[in-house]
Amino acid sequence: MALDIKEYNTTVQPTWCAGCGNFAIHVALKKSLIELNISPSETFISFDIGCNGNGADTVGTYGFKGLHGRSIALATGAHLANRKFTVFADIGDGGCFHEGVDHLINAIKSNYDMTILIHNNQNFALTTGQATVTTPKGKKMYAQPHGSPERNLDIDNFILNLHPTFFAKAYSGDPIQLTEIIKEAVKHKGCSVINISQSCPTYNKEMTPQWFNENILKTNTITEYDNQSFDQAKELLNTANTTKKIYTGIIYQDTTIPTFYDNLESRKGILSELTEEVKEYNIKNLLKYTNS
Amino acid sequence: MYSNRTTIKIGGESGQGINTVGRMLNQALNRLGFFTFANREYPSLIKGGVASYQVDIADKKIYASAKKNNILCTLSEKSFHTYIYDLLENAIVIHDGKDVELSPDEEIFVQKNNIQIIYLDSVKIALEAGGIEIMANVVLLGYIWKILKLDVNILIEEVLELLEGKKIDIEAEKACVLAGYNHPSYRDTLGQDITLPSPSLSRKLLMSGNEALALGALSAGMRAFYGYPMTPATSIYKFIGETANETKVVVKQAENEITAVQMALGSMYMGTRALTATSGGGFDLMIESISCAGMSETPLVIVLAQRIGPGTGVPTWTGSGDIYTAVRAGHGDFPRCVISISDIDSAFTLTQKAFNIADKYQLPVIILTEKQIAEAIYSTENLPNIEKIEREISKGENRYQTTDSGISPRWIPTKGLKPYLHTSDEHTQEGYSTDIAQQVKEMSDKRERKLETLKTEIPEPQYFGNQDTEIIFVGSGSTKNAVLDAQAAGQNIAYLSYEYVYPLKTDKLLKLANENRRLILIENNQTGQLGKVIKEECGYEFKEKLLKYDGRPFFIDDILDYLNK
Repeated sequence: MALDIKEYNTTVQPTWCAGCGNFAIHVALKKSLIELNISPSETFISFDIGCNGNGADTVGTYGFKGLHGRSIALATGAHLANRKFTVFADIGDGGCFHEGVDHLINAIKSNYDMTILIHNNQNFALTTGQATVTTPKGKKMYAQPHGSPERNLDIDNFILNLHPTFFAKAYSGDPIQLTEIIKEAVKHKGCSVINISQSCPTYNKEMTPQWFNENILKTNTITEYDNQSFDQAKELLNTANTTKKIYTGIIYQDTTIPTFYDNLESRKGILSELTEEVKEYNIKNLLKYTNS
Repeated sequence: MYSNRTTIKIGGESGQGINTVGRMLNQALNRLGFFTFANREYPSLIKGGVASYQVDIADKKIYASAKKNNILCTLSEKSFHTYIYDLLENAIVIHDGKDVELSPDEEIFVQKNNIQIIYLDSVKIALEAGGIEIMANVVLLGYIWKILKLDVNILIEEVLELLEGKKIDIEAEKACVLAGYNHPSYRDTLGQDITLPSPSLSRKLLMSGNEALALGALSAGMRAFYGYPMTPATSIYKFIGETANETKVVVKQAENEITAVQMALGSMYMGTRALTATSGGGFDLMIESISCAGMSETPLVIVLAQRIGPGTGVPTWTGSGDIYTAVRAGHGDFPRCVISISDIDSAFTLTQKAFNIADKYQLPVIILTEKQIAEAIYSTENLPNIEKIEREISKGENRYQTTDSGISPRWIPTKGLKPYLHTSDEHTQEGYSTDIAQQVKEMSDKRERKLETLKTEIPEPQYFGNQDTEIIFVGSGSTKNAVLDAQAAGQNIAYLSYEYVYPLKTDKLLKLANENRRLILIENNQTGQLGKVIKEECGYEFKEKLLKYDGRPFFIDDILDYLNK
């Protein structure tokens, strides 16, 4: 029986601003699960603190709304416990690149089989518009009447240079493309990172839907773009920097790197999940290893 | 002279191989059936400094070191000067190397206590016996063995067993043990008053406190360990990591302690059992996550292996100055459980109980251990019986349903079962965020009721000693072992052992206080932190406190000195 989006909803209504990109991101997330035939009770989402996490109540899957900056770390623990679940870490650009950037780096390094959705609205919105690492220099932000004094960082090149096994960029105003990207990310065996440019009509007024429409280019419109090529991906991001355009689509994918779990000697040939293995364990055979 | 033990200390620089000598000695003694307690002192560096490996030998279980030694074997001059004053009367020093120039004070001490000093060039002896430089270690062992008047064949067997799998020259090893054992400098006057009990010949099991704790976790069905190195917690990670191919657990060295505890939270939410272990600094990093576990009612078990001091402190030395942190850390009011272990038996049993409590009550459980327990090597005949796993997994409509016990239904996330959200936001019974006053209060009250329910399950502190003893030491953790040593040496004293530090039972304590017994708070920290927790709970304030916070554990000597003063 086909899944219905109602099963992924709850009775709670979202509290986001009118025109917020989060609506479309979560709809795309639910739609991708329906199309992949993954039910809410086979899905785990770790939510961060921020506007994205404020949607946790509206998603009817298993989930955990934990601490600011930590949704990736928490998701990795959930994933390792039961790999039958499709696991997402939902996080904003503030939580991801300020409070918890170590978790992003190491999740990419370890290549856990999960998907990281970065809701990138270029500010800390829930606390009413402070600058983040993605806020342009000089832009007037909360408590910064003379503009943010710091330069912004190129997070796309940062992510790509970590050699993620799946890296995509998307836009909240194009939920159809985002749905397709999320589906590919879930299907990818490894750590998938999606940097989603998200409209924020309240605190990022400059980047209107019209601005996005004028500045977004899709990678699948570039002839002969090979997202398996790291060099081409690098070149694409460099072009984006010079032309000030945003490329959306799968930027880079490497299917040759094993996941963390698959590299574990201790789990070779084991078919059960850790959640199925909690029982009294006879330690008799381990006593020979003590006083080591 | 101690009435119930013989003590041997091997001293030297870090990296000189004192652990190898100490370990071989300890193993060989346990092969003969003696009970031993071994403890390492070492600085926080890889090469140099002064380090030691002390073995106390007895005919029944001993769980603490004594301060002074019958035999001191030194591999460096600095360690000779460091440890010489910790010698008993008629003690023997075997110094590996050239003659040491004694200070006038040392000279007086040596004369007064009739200490005999033997200088051995163990490398030369090893080479002359046909061995190589590294075999100097077993020369020294042979010499010590002779002083102990033990069967040299047992020592040889043990040495060869320990070196099994390594590329060694068996004949040369044997020759070097014998060269030490039969060295002409030995004279019958050495160790005349050392009388070891008759060996029982039933081989004992040797393990560290951390190994016993890891075994407890594995017994309880722990399937994942997330760690980040920090002394003295690191060897929990080592044991679980090195046995993972047998146990099939997932072991992950996380990028930091925050990740380690978050991974544990994620795994526990999903319904497996995961553990993380750290020391004070790493624990501080985990505190926000503990508060999150409290609010979201996610089971969590953390080992806090204590060392002495704030900041980096004295990283390789012992203490119990994190009791208050364990009991109070974390923003907001939320229930938790803090358990303090004192030896291998309690490490094994209480770690299993910690998982049961975490699962059943859906709250964070902190297991307190100390460097003195974590890294000391205990000998025993067997570990306590395994505890039954209790999880109280149930089914329900709402994950945070209010109940009289405060415990809400919790089911393992499973395909086909109703999904639920754990959240660090205050929430409704359904798990949705709320700021409605009544709901905020109701949910907070529900969580607090779990603490009351838990309190009905945990025991009163355990009393060790004669029922009518006047002097009662009250404490938690390793302080127990030194007090029980003094008790075994004939002191009419008792010990009230707080294994459950939070929530905490005080009926028994108050009853003893009302009987006008002399209650002495004993703690390995500066401010009497357990005493503070007790006072907050019941208002009782200790009039007498024996506090030690110089990084050293309590020795039997400290207890006797205190009682004699």
